[in-house]
Amino acid sequence: MSDTSLQQTLPSRRTRLLAPPLLALPAVLFLVVFFVLPLIDNGMRSVIANDGGFTLSRYASLLTDGFYLWIIAQTVLLSAGVTIISIIIGYPVAYFLVRKAGRFSGLIIFLLIAPLLTSIIMRTFGWQVLFARRGLVNNLLVDQLGILSAPLRLTNSPEIAIAALVHVLVPFMVLSIATVLQGIDTRLEESAKILGANRLRTFFEVTLPLSLDGIGTGAILVFMIANGSFVTLVLLGGGMQTLPLMIYQQFNTTRDFGMASAMSMILLVIAVFCLFLQLRLVRRKGA
Amino acid sequence: MTIIKRRHFLGGSAMIGAGLMAGGMPRLANAQSTEITVTAFGGVWEEAVRKCFVAPFEAKTKAKANVSLGGPPQWLAQVEANQAKPPVDVLIMTPDLALTAAKSGLVDDFTVDKIPNLAKIPKELTDSVMGKGTLFDYGVGGITFHKERVKNPPKSFAEFVDRVSKGEFVASVPSIAYAVTPIMLIWAMAKALGGGVDNVDPFFKAMAKMKDNLVFWGGPNDFFNHLSSGEAEVGIYFDGRTWNHYDSGATWIDFINPEEGGSLNGVAVQKPKNANPLAWEYINEILDAQNQTKFADIMNYGVTNSDVVYSDKIKPRITPWQKTAFPPYEQIAQVRNEWVDRWNREIGR
Repeated sequence: MSDTSLQQTLPSRRTRLLAPPLLALPAVLFLVVFFVLPLIDNGMRSVIANDGGFTLSRYASLLTDGFYLWIIAQTVLLSAGVTIISIIIGYPVAYFLVRKAGRFSGLIIFLLIAPLLTSIIMRTFGWQVLFARRGLVNNLLVDQLGILSAPLRLTNSPEIAIAALVHVLVPFMVLSIATVLQGIDTRLEESAKILGANRLRTFFEVTLPLSLDGIGTGAILVFMIANGSFVTLVLLGGGMQTLPLMIYQQFNTTRDFGMASAMSMILLVIAVFCLFLQLRLVRRKGA
Repeated sequence: MTIIKRRHFLGGSAMIGAGLMAGGMPRLANAQSTEITVTAFGGVWEEAVRKCFVAPFEAKTKAKANVSLGGPPQWLAQVEANQAKPPVDVLIMTPDLALTAAKSGLVDDFTVDKIPNLAKIPKELTDSVMGKGTLFDYGVGGITFHKERVKNPPKSFAEFVDRVSKGEFVASVPSIAYAVTPIMLIWAMAKALGGGVDNVDPFFKAMAKMKDNLVFWGGPNDFFNHLSSGEAEVGIYFDGRTWNHYDSGATWIDFINPEEGGSLNGVAVQKPKNANPLAWEYINEILDAQNQTKFADIMNYGVTNSDVVYSDKIKPRITPWQKTAFPPYEQIAQVRNEWVDRWNREIGR
């Protein structure tokens, strides 16, 4: 092949330089149109007063009024609680899935993912049917077994909302941890045992630190989803208030769009701050 | 290997753009003159709107009415965002939001020359939204109960509060996330207990007394689940929806209009400014006596054309609007946000 024909076949330097940015263009455009611009618009709405002037009064109210501070704290506590419970439940399941399940691992993964195949509203109504005052569980305890004289109030409480959120979010935790556990070389654990560590010490000093990345990924996923959860809290929370519910209320009932925008910016900041903290924590422990 | 050069990319984009301008735009322009977009709530509401209003409109005008599903806050926000070219031509609104739209100058005046059937609607119902719309259908917020579990239901709001406070039964009431709660619960109960729009203390005191025996519904289907699953035995709910559940097979459900009078929860129809003029003809169909009779038969809600004669089946279920507690919508709209804030602080956890 002559030099001239080779030059014609190979892309020019200019084309080679342009190709990667062009390939990224659709994704960048998508992000700009559907994320960055709405975010800027939302931020602007939160600081524009009803008379058109600039105001920070909404943020001042959200960050100084005890009621709103409690709502913010409750939102973070709920998400953190759901995340911690998901780790406690999810880690053993992930460990069993990777190390013990063998040929049943496919079945376990199916059982984990199965709840995600039904609509969140159906799942939430399912909790109501099971745990209502005259639901299956109370009927069993009161009428069938006679353990209780009166039915328990199990639904319409923060506790049941947390349980329902954990039910939905545990699969994210298990799959995140399982992926990392699978990559840990078992010879490291064997070496620890040969050097005299018992099973518990091996787990806490070898397996757990090496699987922190999986816990971190799962925690971020679970925390973020719980932080913005809405339907489960509306249907099962029994009047519990969190920022997403308050944002909906500002749109639906009071039509205070400025306040809703300020609340959503604060929700975003909380999410980003917690993401940053979790990443820092995981990296430090992992290191 | 195919190499995409910037020139190719830009050239292709320009061609797509030109194609859209040449072919797409005339279709959009054409659609404006022969198609309108009307609004409806989901479920049985949508079916009723299509059957009772859209079908006769399309038959008479040969135009098309597309149905947009959603809720009043969303539609109002859409119209506010694009006032020159509103995305919906007919609005279905709660009265408080209808007043907001009227005061903001977003909607047109209703007159008999534009809507001949408006002459058959009681003037009070048009005046309630400042003449910039009218109420075409209404439900009454009263006491719905599981009649197999509650043999002797409360007949009034006062009795309801008293017996729920004593723990005789668990009640399901609308949460503050539900847009009509300030009217159907806060105002209605405050008024029944001796307060009113200027004094809702009786309501908040009643809620404090009942708090251990209350659950909250976020949407109408949620209430039905509370009753059917046994989470609650009674609650504050709408007459029409109660009868819809009854007709769907839940024959254990029943409704009482409280002695003090349940609140009238009207549904207003409005036309955004700059909407397609064909909307007037559609609104005329909404206010037509024959169409409203059909609508009432499906929805079990009262309708407002004075020529409507209800069928024997639904006549006993409908409370004439004159026998309901007619909310002062305009005054409620002024204090609604204060009530919501108080609810959040005193009732919301």
